[in-house]
Amino acid sequence: MVRERLKGLFMEAKTLRQIRGAKDLAEEAIDAAALAINEVQRTMTRLPYGLLAGIKPIAVPVRAVEQAHLKITESVYFSIRVGNRLVGNVAGFVLDRLDAHAKGREQ
Amino acid sequence: MAEEKNNSVIRPTWGDTAASFLNGCFGDYLSERENGLAIDMAFYRNNLPLELSTAALSAACPLPTGKLCVLVHGLCCHEGAFDFPGNPARSYGSALQYDLGYTPFSLRYNTGLPIAYNGQRLDTLLEHLLAVYPVPVDDLVLIGHSMGGLVLRAACHYGACREASWVSKVSRVFYLGTPHEGAALERMGHLVTKLLHAVPHPVTALVGDLANQRSQGIKDLRYGTLLEGIDFSTSVPWLASAKHYLIAGTVTDDPEHLASRLFGDGLVQPPQAGEHVALFPGVAHMQLAHDEAVYARIKQWCASA
Repeated sequence: MVRERLKGLFMEAKTLRQIRGAKDLAEEAIDAAALAINEVQRTMTRLPYGLLAGIKPIAVPVRAVEQAHLKITESVYFSIRVGNRLVGNVAGFVLDRLDAHAKGREQ
Repeated sequence: MAEEKNNSVIRPTWGDTAASFLNGCFGDYLSERENGLAIDMAFYRNNLPLELSTAALSAACPLPTGKLCVLVHGLCCHEGAFDFPGNPARSYGSALQYDLGYTPFSLRYNTGLPIAYNGQRLDTLLEHLLAVYPVPVDDLVLIGHSMGGLVLRAACHYGACREASWVSKVSRVFYLGTPHEGAALERMGHLVTKLLHAVPHPVTALVGDLANQRSQGIKDLRYGTLLEGIDFSTSVPWLASAKHYLIAGTVTDDPEHLASRLFGDGLVQPPQAGEHVALFPGVAHMQLAHDEAVYARIKQWCASA
């Protein structure tokens, strides 16, 4: 089914190159943004926990909650990056097929 | 003009326009990453790069003349910036071809790369063009819009330094809204980036980092940098063997209006009045690349001895 649909699509090599470039750029931008925002969030999260950890009776549970908080947010950003990479790979695969198809037509 | 209207032209697509815009913003990154969107410098005709060989040029220019004009666009643009609205077949190049017999060549390049680098590449490209051009060239006119003018100056400088043969053919260089002394917008951008980094907060630092991702080509516009490591364009001499013409616009019809004094043509301040300076009140920055009154002045100067 997918193969049949791909056969119906014909694009110039230049257009395909541009689409692949846009895909790569979007993938790299999302990855860099997820990393940077994660770092900012980590820095900002530490501030209130640092203040609360200064209160000795609650310092230990506060640190435990902080670690749990950081692990959860990091896993969210990690999944965004993995999902982004996955979508990028699928898009790359589709573009490879279109490229091969276009080259086949040229020959 | 009627004849120009009949010529069928293939204009750059929206994809090419988007690619040119992205090249202007992040062109150095795209080039470094060998991204498919990165533009390789070439002369374009009908939205295709011209192969620089005598056979290909003979096919592309069936009636080559010994007079050439080269059009160089500005930041985030492509050669379509010179097309007249409503009549894409007409540009300063095609009009000069029709009126004065100049064979036009339009450059497309990655405007995010350093101006010095693009100048060096253009120097090489012009030498190659003249070497394979089907007939001997005796007159070369260069027209640069905005950043394109700085690229032309850099190319002339590098060409003159190594005594390239094409440099002696250059008779006139036209600079349309070229920020020879830097662009206020980029100076403002630089200041904002510095301020964002000065604020001790991770979010402003992140926004500052993001703003700092703009291309080296944009950063070079702060002082009109033409050569690597040298910040002021005034330190680069103008090509002595050619005549240089500065064309500028203003955002209002009255050049003395406060808005025109503050913003010039919207992006670039007009130069001081002089013999080879023309000011077009009410013509904004982008319009300088496709305006009948501007063309009439270019034609007048090209036709003069």
